[in-house]
Amino acid sequence: MKIGDHVQNLGARVGTIQVLAFILLGVLGARLYYLQVVKGEYYTDRAESQRVRFIPIPAPRGAILDRHGKMLVDSRPTYNVVLSNEPLKTVNVAERVDDYSRGLNLDRQFVVERLSLIKQQNEFEAMVLKENADVRDITWVEAHSLEFPELRVELQPQRFYPLGAVLAHVLGYVGEISPKQLEDPLMQERGFRPGDIIGKGGLEQYYDEYLRGRPGYRKVLVDSRGRVQSELDVVQPQSGQDMVTTIDLDVQIKAEEQLSNSITKRGTIIAMDPNNGQMLAMASAPSFDPNIFVRGSSTPEGRKAIAAYWQDEKRPLFNRAIQGRYPPGSTWKIPESIAGLQQGAITVAQSNLVCGGGIQVGNKFTRCMGSHGSPNLSYAITKSCDGYYYRLALKMKIEGVIQMIETYGYDKRSGIDLPNEKVPQTPKSWMPWVIKNEGKWSDIRTVYSGIGQDTVWVTPISMLRAVASIGMRGQMYVPHFLKEFRPIAAVGTEGKSDFFAARVGFGFQNAEPKLIEAKEDQWDLVVKGMWGVVNGGGTGAGIRIPDYEIAGKTGTAQVAELGKDVGDKKDHAWFVSFAPAYKPEIAVIALIENVGFGGSHAAPAAKGVYEAFRETKGHITDSSAHSEAPDKTVALPKPDSTKTR
Amino acid sequence: MVARIEKRDVRDFDWLTALLAVAIAAFGVWQIHNALPSEGYWSKQILGIGIALVAFFVVAFNDYRRIIDAAPFFYGFGLILLLLVLTPLGVEVNGQKAWVRLPVVGQFQPSEFVKIPTVLMLAKYFGGRKAKDLSLREMLIGGAILAGPVGLIMLEPDAGQAITYFPILAAVLFLSAIKMRYVVITLVLAAVLVPTAYYVGVQSGFIKRYQQERINAILDPESVDPRGYGYHTIQSMITVGKGGLAGNQGDTDTSQSVLKFLPEPHTDFIFAVTAENTGFIGCISLLLAYALLLSRMIAGAREASDRAGMLVIMSIVCGMVFQIFINVGMALGFLPVIGVPLPLMSAGLSAILSTFIAIGFVVSVRLRRFVN
Repeated sequence: MKIGDHVQNLGARVGTIQVLAFILLGVLGARLYYLQVVKGEYYTDRAESQRVRFIPIPAPRGAILDRHGKMLVDSRPTYNVVLSNEPLKTVNVAERVDDYSRGLNLDRQFVVERLSLIKQQNEFEAMVLKENADVRDITWVEAHSLEFPELRVELQPQRFYPLGAVLAHVLGYVGEISPKQLEDPLMQERGFRPGDIIGKGGLEQYYDEYLRGRPGYRKVLVDSRGRVQSELDVVQPQSGQDMVTTIDLDVQIKAEEQLSNSITKRGTIIAMDPNNGQMLAMASAPSFDPNIFVRGSSTPEGRKAIAAYWQDEKRPLFNRAIQGRYPPGSTWKIPESIAGLQQGAITVAQSNLVCGGGIQVGNKFTRCMGSHGSPNLSYAITKSCDGYYYRLALKMKIEGVIQMIETYGYDKRSGIDLPNEKVPQTPKSWMPWVIKNEGKWSDIRTVYSGIGQDTVWVTPISMLRAVASIGMRGQMYVPHFLKEFRPIAAVGTEGKSDFFAARVGFGFQNAEPKLIEAKEDQWDLVVKGMWGVVNGGGTGAGIRIPDYEIAGKTGTAQVAELGKDVGDKKDHAWFVSFAPAYKPEIAVIALIENVGFGGSHAAPAAKGVYEAFRETKGHITDSSAHSEAPDKTVALPKPDSTKTR
Repeated sequence: MVARIEKRDVRDFDWLTALLAVAIAAFGVWQIHNALPSEGYWSKQILGIGIALVAFFVVAFNDYRRIIDAAPFFYGFGLILLLLVLTPLGVEVNGQKAWVRLPVVGQFQPSEFVKIPTVLMLAKYFGGRKAKDLSLREMLIGGAILAGPVGLIMLEPDAGQAITYFPILAAVLFLSAIKMRYVVITLVLAAVLVPTAYYVGVQSGFIKRYQQERINAILDPESVDPRGYGYHTIQSMITVGKGGLAGNQGDTDTSQSVLKFLPEPHTDFIFAVTAENTGFIGCISLLLAYALLLSRMIAGAREASDRAGMLVIMSIVCGMVFQIFINVGMALGFLPVIGVPLPLMSAGLSAILSTFIAIGFVVSVRLRRFVN
């Protein structure tokens, strides 16, 4: 039986099948040509991009040191649990939430956020899931490596604040960049990505650009589950620059101690070198532990602790030194005094004004807390005579007060190298509001402005800066913490992609003082009054140090009407000063909230700081007679005239 | 059972077909090694080819007509094997019970082997009929012969294997003088009904989401979720495309299969591995080798001494062409992912053994072309 024998044209049918078979094979060949020859390059690129991954190598941030090289902030290696993107792409991440939060003791909400964030990541594949992993966490990750191939443990540098709450407001802390910050086009331009660590608050934020290192990366070959098969290339990171601050840690610790020994434990102490604006100490109480922010944001306990900081009505996160605005009370009289002389409202020869036990404006009598007859300027300062300043302000007129505000920089930020500094509120800034609501600026407001109340709300830093400039006879420096950024060497080979250029060292850029014009005898007169406050039986006499002449001014700022000024509403105690009186090397301001008289509470706190400063300078301190026990000074005769109004 | 081999048998034996089959299988071993160099699939495959060659010669030197006479016995035995799969003797892999584990014999895939008794059964029934137009009754009986194994395979369920049975019946009916108008009507109906059925299936939810995505991955591979059901298709296309003109010539460091981007590289996607390693040149050579082998087999069919022998060869040819087209089409990303092995290339003892047995029948038919 041969095929040809049949009538059913079998030969043709077999031929049809054969042709069909060749056509099908031809279709395959054509498709092969398209994929391999036409689109070969395209698929080669796609294959490469899916097997090559960049794993960032975080760069250590620069350390922060005090002026003597003591470590304030450092980075130390910690184990982090890192989450990879690739293996997660094929899983429903919602199923992982409970496993992670239970296994690693993480906040559930945090895990949800983290997973949704990493889902949006493409180029770089890793994100920290848990910092500071302990042995238990590491064991858990290792034990579940088959189940959760996306997790791995890496040794990474972590910011560490060895001093805890000390200096916290100045240093700030670091944390992951927030989604809101990422929306900022400026941040995008600088190449920030989710998960990046940036400075938040304080010097960490202000100098982030320099403290921050430049991350390197490992270029690796991964398999389809993102597991690293081999390393193709490494670009080493460049560390951030070390920052030497002007802080004197001993003085700082002393300042913090003074605040924590105070009655309300709320307030601020700032110490500055008036010769150049270098900050020696800045304490604000209550304070916080930055380590909690660094480590805590992923754990339920940490999140609770952070929330507690935000909710605490004592506001521990608030830097009272630069963000707090308080009525300055009598401390205000110092810039006002020199301005009165500068503007000619009084003269050195004829500086007497009537106290009168107060002043009658319209049908309202505003009292002075004492009766000082007709004091001259330095006596008025020493005794803090309100009646004198009511009249001085009226003589200067509100225009003169505003001129003084401008001269001493109360209408601007001081320019300190910290973020979020507040501008004081003054008659200048209140004027438009008052005119709009009251029709005119009344004399009584001018009177109040003469004693630093009502429309006057200043930041402690602005007050210290102004008074320090008076001690410096008109040289007003920008307060700052930066002494020096140390240089850092280049990394990698020039011209290659792994090259990071060297970074140069530098100091504070805005070092030139603003110069305020006044005659030498005018400065002398004001300083004499301030000298008298401490050394001439004035309102701060209790803190006198025999061989060290402090020039200062107390202030007791009213926060509630007379009669209601008890408990929480007690007056704020101020003391602003510099020493030695005629050749200042340090200026100190102390503000204790709601404790009462400045001479009894703020001045002793400042004294403690002076003592610590002299000790670090190697001065011989008279330790027995003038120990730093602040309650000794409470027993002094009540300085009744310090109370303004 | 081995017949006495005469000198004439050795002379008339179709050495070229055998050589081509062995060459393709050897090429396959190399590709299996390329797919997973660190695993032992390639050496197992060599062993499989050895066993398959023994079976091949046993079948080739036996008179196929006597075996066709015993077709109902083999067919029944085949159905029993397929039933065994569904019993606790069956082995479940990835939700499919396609395997059976027997004592002594070990683990194998009956659906691969049962194709042969099905071919024989069809050849026996349609080989004896008179030369006249095919009646409806004959067509129904042909359908029934196929329905046995296909139905059991669908119960596994292994749709991929099941559809490889249809070309066998199609070939037999086509060559049994089915009226051309039925062929045309079938083709037209298929052209209309398949898209309609798909549409209705999607609308009614009968076609599952993942099945839809596999289809979508074919229609528009760039816009489907590359991590979803389109993943295999896209990875296979990347692997093929990456091969370029000459392939990467054994560079396993960046190999798609070693890095596990390409799934099932030694079985379902062996063609993608071939494409990656040998490029367009290697792949075209392989397709030409298939074309040559198929032509050689078809030439045997033309010379077959009886209708049954011709039907055996042509249904085997059609089955092979279909499998090649489905498998390679899947690897090249224009057909949906269906688990069909590439004949002679994919790793797997059952597949290589059943293919060589099938080719053994082809050679056996040709060997007896001068008889009668």
